[in-house]
Amino acid sequence: MKVGIPKALLYYYYYPFWKKLFEVLGIETIVSSSTSKEIMDKGIEFSVPEICVPIKVFTGHVAALIEKADYILVPRMVSILKDEYFCPKFMGLPDMIRYTVPGAAEKILSPSIRSESDSISDPKHYSEFVDVLGVSAKELRRALKEAEKEWQRFRMLSKQGHVLSDIYRFLEEKEELPEITKEEDPFQVTIGLLGYVYNIYDEFVSMNIIKKLKELGVRIITFEMLDEGEIFRSIRFMRKRLFWTFSNKLLGAGYFFYNNPSVDGLIHVTAFNCGPDSLIGKMLELDSGQYEKPFMTIRVDEHTGEGHLLTRVEAFVDMIRRKKIKMRGALNHENNFSIYGNNAGL
Amino acid sequence: MKITFPYMGTTLAYKKFLDLLGHETISPPKPNQRTFDLGVKYSPEFACFPLKVITGSYLEAVEQGAEVIVTSGGHGPCRAGFYGELHRKILHSMGYDVDVIVIDSIRRDFKTVMQNIRRIKGKNSWRKLLWAARLTYRLIKALDDFEMQIQTKAAYEVSKGDCWRTWDKIQGILENIWTDRELEAAQKRCQKIIDQIPIREVPEEEKIRIGIVGEIYVVMESSVNMQIEKVLGDFGCEVRRSHYLSQWLDDNVMPKFLGKSREEEILKKGEKYIQIQIGGHAKETMGHIVDYRDQGFDGVIHLMPFGCLPELVCQSIMPKAMEELNIPVLTIALDEQTGIANNLTRIEAFIDLIKNKKRKRISRAG
Repeated sequence: MKVGIPKALLYYYYYPFWKKLFEVLGIETIVSSSTSKEIMDKGIEFSVPEICVPIKVFTGHVAALIEKADYILVPRMVSILKDEYFCPKFMGLPDMIRYTVPGAAEKILSPSIRSESDSISDPKHYSEFVDVLGVSAKELRRALKEAEKEWQRFRMLSKQGHVLSDIYRFLEEKEELPEITKEEDPFQVTIGLLGYVYNIYDEFVSMNIIKKLKELGVRIITFEMLDEGEIFRSIRFMRKRLFWTFSNKLLGAGYFFYNNPSVDGLIHVTAFNCGPDSLIGKMLELDSGQYEKPFMTIRVDEHTGEGHLLTRVEAFVDMIRRKKIKMRGALNHENNFSIYGNNAGL
Repeated sequence: MKITFPYMGTTLAYKKFLDLLGHETISPPKPNQRTFDLGVKYSPEFACFPLKVITGSYLEAVEQGAEVIVTSGGHGPCRAGFYGELHRKILHSMGYDVDVIVIDSIRRDFKTVMQNIRRIKGKNSWRKLLWAARLTYRLIKALDDFEMQIQTKAAYEVSKGDCWRTWDKIQGILENIWTDRELEAAQKRCQKIIDQIPIREVPEEEKIRIGIVGEIYVVMESSVNMQIEKVLGDFGCEVRRSHYLSQWLDDNVMPKFLGKSREEEILKKGEKYIQIQIGGHAKETMGHIVDYRDQGFDGVIHLMPFGCLPELVCQSIMPKAMEELNIPVLTIALDEQTGIANNLTRIEAFIDLIKNKKRKRISRAG
């Protein structure tokens, strides 16, 4: 028996957990290969045209696994915080996959996650495993405990300031973790990179923005590196919080970056037609003037245009770097290329 | 304090409620091109269409002097539950000093809800508030009852436009009731007017019934859905909607112990396609389609705002569901790009298909 894990959506956040879980249960797993043109095309074929790109990617990964695995893990993510939820598309994901990908109906394995924290190891979410996979409740409890430990270790690495792509290379390919750049150099540019893990770390969707920023010598901070308490403290001013936990985390991280003097600018990577982002993007954009920090939105979808991304990211980083140099007095006159002006909504 | 409210469906009922409590109310104009333009200009680009239209209609109301906006909240996880907060932010950033009162679900935040209800109550006694609520509820019931009659009769009217003209007239009459007795008299009068509309006789087997399902705002507000009910009536179809104001009140405001609501039944029917409530009206949409099939409807039109999160899940499921349920469904996404001619063609083709299918079935049976 083989369980397929699509390399999409929350794979990037929970894979170490799932991997350990199945390992301890003694069930073989197969992970789909990284998103490629073929997978993308499959996804487009089986999903509604106007749905957001991460869902199309997920659909493509399921389609790629359908022949290779006996079961496919399509979790129904309902909540990971009290009174908050996931985007409706996550909540209806198994329903959607069941009726769109041919042959998926009998293969879907969908634990229903209704947790009160990021940790998803409560055995009650996984009752389906006992019936479908034929594991005993005791085995399941033990495996979940071990998986939880593994996942906490993984989260620690994030909180030390490593980007997920480096962590996965460390965990999977035993490559060394790069050293974290300390903020000693006064001209070091630090950018708060906002976006859901499945957009930013999917190298096909984000056109590997992490690598591009690193090549430009930028220090990157993302929301998963921050402490939850810190994130939620920074959106305490809101009368009514958003309904989506990960969107709240992004928004909280956004305001944290605005308030943190070591962050020089924000880049928001969002998928075309992402509902939650249409609200948080606007809120952060409206407030960027007040905090005097540049904010740029990069909208991605299944159309790839790497050239434009590189140009915009480069221009954005250059602008910040020049501003920094000027403020330190290293540039004593303004030349023809003004760095001033309203850059909201670039 | 001048009060206004979002424009959706038969707004005369909301106005009546606030008027009965002695407030000065400003009804925003029915959404039109200017409303859309204003809304699109000042709302987030990728926000859903209803949010934009409501932004526009708030702005028009504020221009007319509205100081307070009363709206209903939501408990997610669809974007509609956050409208109030976002509208407040947009209006304030434009420099308008308006107060947005969001009546949330009482289960989520009891204290604030009671506070807000007290503000709307004003100096009136609780008894008067209850009386006003009851009268408004009866008014809404009456309105929905008449509207359903119109939705049926419009398919068979002899001279085109009769029914919807009558509907306007009925709204005009019901707008002027102030007491229970006046309401009863007006109801009798309206019924008489409806009964007088001449209709042609159509044999039962040739009648076509279409259900409209989808996101509540685009289903209920005719100015954003190309007046789809009128269009379908002109094609000779009887129409029913998945949302009526009175049903919404029954489902959301009435206490649960007063009996099993219709909503639960509908949700049960939708369970096969969407197992849990995923926000918005996705599960209801699937439930209503099953329900319309069970009632013997001939087709369903599924309306959604472009990019609507929950309805996209429905749309994904739709091809398979249609096949399994053996009922044709046409999904139409609506937004500020009003491609009316395009959508009308699609609807016409859809109705033609249904008519042909029906004719074939009849001839085979005969």
